Amino acid sequence: MKVEKKKVTKPIRLYAKAVFTGYKRGQRAQHEKTALLKVDGAKNKDDGRYYIGKRCAYVYKCKKKTPCSYGGKSKLRVIWGKVTRIHGNSGVVRAKFARSLPPRAMGRRVRVMMYPSRI
Amino acid sequence: GVSLKLLSCGVWIMVEEKSKEAAKPGTVRDGKPKKKKGVEVKVKKTPKPKTIKPGTVRYGKRKKVGEKQKIFIEKPIGGEKNGGTRMVRVKKLPAYYATQLNPKRRTKHTKNRFRPLRSSITPGTVCILVAGPHRGKRVVFLKQLARGLCLITGPFKINACPLRRVNQIYLIATATKIDISGCDIPKHINDEYFRRVKVKRAKKEEGDIFEQKKEKYVPSEQRKKDQAVVDKLIVSAIKKREDKKMLFGYLGSVFTLRNKMYPHRLSF
Repeated sequence: MKVEKKKVTKPIRLYAKAVFTGYKRGQRAQHEKTALLKVDGAKNKDDGRYYIGKRCAYVYKCKKKTPCSYGGKSKLRVIWGKVTRIHGNSGVVRAKFARSLPPRAMGRRVRVMMYPSRI
Repeated sequence: GVSLKLLSCGVWIMVEEKSKEAAKPGTVRDGKPKKKKGVEVKVKKTPKPKTIKPGTVRYGKRKKVGEKQKIFIEKPIGGEKNGGTRMVRVKKLPAYYATQLNPKRRTKHTKNRFRPLRSSITPGTVCILVAGPHRGKRVVFLKQLARGLCLITGPFKINACPLRRVNQIYLIATATKIDISGCDIPKHINDEYFRRVKVKRAKKEEGDIFEQKKEKYVPSEQRKKDQAVVDKLIVSAIKKREDKKMLFGYLGSVFTLRNKMYPHRLSF
């Protein structure tokens, strides 16, 4: 929202915080197409089930300014993805991104949006 | 008499033999009774069987005999030492030969994009917009339009969210429901109303074609009028409630997630 207002709008967060823990893998081989996300506060399968289908985004900064969707240029870049299914019993979730997440994203923040909403 | 004759192409044809006896005037071949004596009656001749020329197409498009279809045409070309002309095909060969003639086309299922509404979203439900320029705002759901999108309003006076079309996947329905059964939303507010008007560019434009002419959106007078009408109805419905003060404040505020607020544990 780039509208300049006299009021300073507090930033609002409409996404759940998640961490990219790694790729889908067996013990010795990993499959980079699917990422594993640990969503904050999700402790079991039912918690994880809420997030299935939700859009997720890995946001990162770069040196060069590139065009944004709303016009103008910004140093922020996004890789969009989707939560596909739950992984295991503890609320971890699998996600597939438009392009596989870069390995340096491991341990870093991924945003899980609240849409497409099912409530 | 009729006789059979074999042609060179191997086709048998029937040939009427001319009788040696000349037809007497008055006698009719077809068996019709003669009208008058002595008067020459026009004899209806049975049609002569046409001998079929080998190679002719019967009952089909017949090309005039002698006219040959030109396949190649000589065309002049430029450049030196090129020979000056080239033989060019009149009809180009097809660039694509389908492996399967008349392949079965997969049906597109996008025609009917109407998606039934979630049971939690009913007219008058206060919803939270989760995406778009008005994200976080609490808005009132009015009705589902013909194409399946949801019509919502801020109301504009309360939170600057106008009459808008929104997909239900971007709405979180809360338990708060306003009774708008008495509110008659104008019927002309439908999908056509919200259709984007494409500005037709003149073919010959001044300046660069790629010049981005981003005109800032200005709501039309019609929109402003309708907004005032609808908002009045909604606001009056809210005023009837006991918790109206709370509700005005609620609709004016913005939803945000905070620490230890987890969407999967929230009940709206």
